[in-house]
Amino acid sequence: MPTSARVINVLHRVAGTDEVLRNPDILLFEGGVLDSLGLVELIVGLEEEFGIEIAPAEIEREQWATPRKISTYIEALVGA
Amino acid sequence: MDLLRRIDLWGRDFPERVAHISEERRLSYGKLLHDSTALAAHLAQDLPDDRSPVAVLGHKQPEMLVGFLGSVKAGHPYVPIDIAVPPQRVERILKTAGARLMLTPDAIADILAGPAASQPMRTRPLGPADPFYLIFTSGSTGEPKGVIITLACLDSFLSWMLGAYSLGEGEVFLNRAPFTFDVSVMDTYLSLITGGTLFSITNDDLTNPKQLYRALAASGTTVWSSTPSFVEMCLLERSFRAAMLPRLRLFVLAGEILPPPLVRALLDCFPEAEVWNAYGPTEATVLATAVRVDAAMLARYPSVPIGYPKPDSRVLIFGPDGRPVADGQRGEIILVGPNVSIGYVGRPDLTAAAFFELDGMRAYRTGDWGRRTDGLIFYEGRIDSQIKLHGHRIELGDVEANLQALPAVRSAAVLPVVKEGRPEALAAFVTLAERPGGADAEVSQSLKAQLSQRVPAYMVPRRFFIMDALPLNTSGKVDRRKLADMLA
Repeated sequence: MPTSARVINVLHRVAGTDEVLRNPDILLFEGGVLDSLGLVELIVGLEEEFGIEIAPAEIEREQWATPRKISTYIEALVGA
Repeated sequence: MDLLRRIDLWGRDFPERVAHISEERRLSYGKLLHDSTALAAHLAQDLPDDRSPVAVLGHKQPEMLVGFLGSVKAGHPYVPIDIAVPPQRVERILKTAGARLMLTPDAIADILAGPAASQPMRTRPLGPADPFYLIFTSGSTGEPKGVIITLACLDSFLSWMLGAYSLGEGEVFLNRAPFTFDVSVMDTYLSLITGGTLFSITNDDLTNPKQLYRALAASGTTVWSSTPSFVEMCLLERSFRAAMLPRLRLFVLAGEILPPPLVRALLDCFPEAEVWNAYGPTEATVLATAVRVDAAMLARYPSVPIGYPKPDSRVLIFGPDGRPVADGQRGEIILVGPNVSIGYVGRPDLTAAAFFELDGMRAYRTGDWGRRTDGLIFYEGRIDSQIKLHGHRIELGDVEANLQALPAVRSAAVLPVVKEGRPEALAAFVTLAERPGGADAEVSQSLKAQLSQRVPAYMVPRRFFIMDALPLNTSGKVDRRKLADMLA
């Protein structure tokens, strides 16, 4: 499965809404899809899914604003 | 202790000292003294001297503190309301509280920028028995309940804290909780009476981790108070250690169950710091029990105790017959003492149900299960359907009532999604009055949006299940066990 699809799967599980499947450019924080605790669950979920370490202190909200941007961020981390 | 005078003295003697930092904005003790006194003069001029509450609506702006102190100096208790509370709920809070006035940071700034009050302030200062603040919590019928805390209640709480923690001058107190939640009373007033600096974390920081950790690292925090969930979140970052916060020497964790592994992680990352677990409902002024947790205590008990009662109060464990049970036996936690609230504003019915008098002291039925072992109190969950979700106190009935008030909803049941014994999120099971067009996901999205108009975001269930009917048990009630199985 491509990295982006795996990212979206994790996001879908955490967010509990199909919005994130339909619209890769949905604004996760402004749109109320993710709050701070959702973000934490997402970080933990992605770490488990990819076996990587994500440093929260490196995450700018802007870089994680949409499903597409999170995929890009993770792709860069896993080198896919 | 003369609370307001103690705060004012810092302003008189050390006017330059920083009282509050919030998003690059700094409020000095001198300005806090000046502004709160000037605001009080205006309020005393504009409002009848009737002790009516003043609502202060905002987030973490320095004007919030000016609003709180200005109100009480004018003889009016304040009602802190966070901007996260939706307008409909704010309306209900104002009405229930009987507030004549709602201040916002902008309104306070406008008042202070205008001419000074023309009359000298003539008002009766708050006495010990007078309400100091009102904090609204979730009510099981969907109506928020306003807990009345008097000056004497607050005094009892703060005197205990001062003795327990041996706080010095120059402390920096982390302020994580919004002012709507009474955990913030601990950091705010402990800081103000000891001449410390209150360092606020904003909602904006919470969804921007890089900004959050930068703020934490720059804060110089010495005293950390938050829920276990928040500190657990911070620990996800491997650099969240003593090197990031070298002056941090005290964690006070409250608001939800403190898991032993979290304590171990904290002691590991902050070897010089003390970790305290504390417990208390809003009705008993922030905290009623506390204890320092160390490795020896973790080794002795399978769960972390919530602590010993504060010295001027009692904690009783009542059995179903309303009498204390033997040590080690489970019962309802009853709090007795001068820290217990005088009741819910405008709701004598709810007050009578939850409060009573015992040996001449006010007593409160917490609705929490607990037991006492070796003099320590252990918390064992809720008797009713109130839950703690990441430190937020939520009556499931509150969410259900607000869902059922939506025109599209016929019936609703709300359950916590429990992971490793802790509520992680809310799930709503809903039947519809009429089936609108669109897939379940769209219907859920629309219900979420409508519910957000009525309750704060943390009360909006993350998962929705649209059902044809809710399963019933043999007694004809919603079968919550069956619904819980759907979540497992």
